[in-house]
Amino acid sequence: MRSFRRRGDGLIAVRLSAREHALLASLPQQIAALLTGESESSAVRVRLFPPAYDEPEHEQEYRQLMDDELLDDRMAALRTFAETLEQGSVKRGVWQTELTPEAANAWLSTTNDARLALGVVAGITTETQWEEPDEENPTHMTLMYLGWLQEQLLSVLMRGIAAGEPPGGE
Amino acid sequence: MASPVIAPTRTDEPSGDERTERDLPWQVIVWNDPVTLMSYVVFVLRKLFGYNEAKATKLMLQVHHEGRAVVASGPRERAEFDVSRLHAHGLQATLAQE
Repeated sequence: MRSFRRRGDGLIAVRLSAREHALLASLPQQIAALLTGESESSAVRVRLFPPAYDEPEHEQEYRQLMDDELLDDRMAALRTFAETLEQGSVKRGVWQTELTPEAANAWLSTTNDARLALGVVAGITTETQWEEPDEENPTHMTLMYLGWLQEQLLSVLMRGIAAGEPPGGE
Repeated sequence: MASPVIAPTRTDEPSGDERTERDLPWQVIVWNDPVTLMSYVVFVLRKLFGYNEAKATKLMLQVHHEGRAVVASGPRERAEFDVSRLHAHGLQATLAQE
């Protein structure tokens, strides 16, 4: 079953099992807690708000200038993601909805933030750790699932970029 | 991508348009990350910089194999803006003067 399909009207149709839907619906609260959180989330915050400059003075200026905006953008995407998960309908164990292009971007953004955060939580520091994922570890399994889902969404969104792109790139 | 290293071309004789340190372009650097999908990096480079698939893929592979790649360069304000957009998309990016 393909999870995402671009329709003729430009919307992206989503079809997920009820189980996948439940997993995704559990993410916004977790991510919001990590982003704004009181918990021991500082490593996650560093990953989601990485430094721009080596030079401390420039870096401090950058943080003052950008942190609020970067946080607001993430929280807005998170809200859009959460709202779309509350919509749609379930038939025979399959949840379906449609995403506007803006909502699809929010899905991409939020699933990516979730993967980055889970990667920190799981202590993943090298690509080789992916070669033998720990199937007993629920964080690893969620990371793998979100990666698989993101690949599918990306292949739909990439075709949109390719169609609208002027030849030659730069 | 041939990395856009601009060799210091100054000679002993100061030329008419002598470049000061201030004028040197700033490089936008993307760093490798073990979790981010390769296809996601390609997507973001295409979306933000308008690169075609071949160029975005080449840069992504450079990040993957060499740990980093210069994806753009220019005046500091522009480079900082690009870094902030990469950060908004979850990529690890920095800027530095050449």
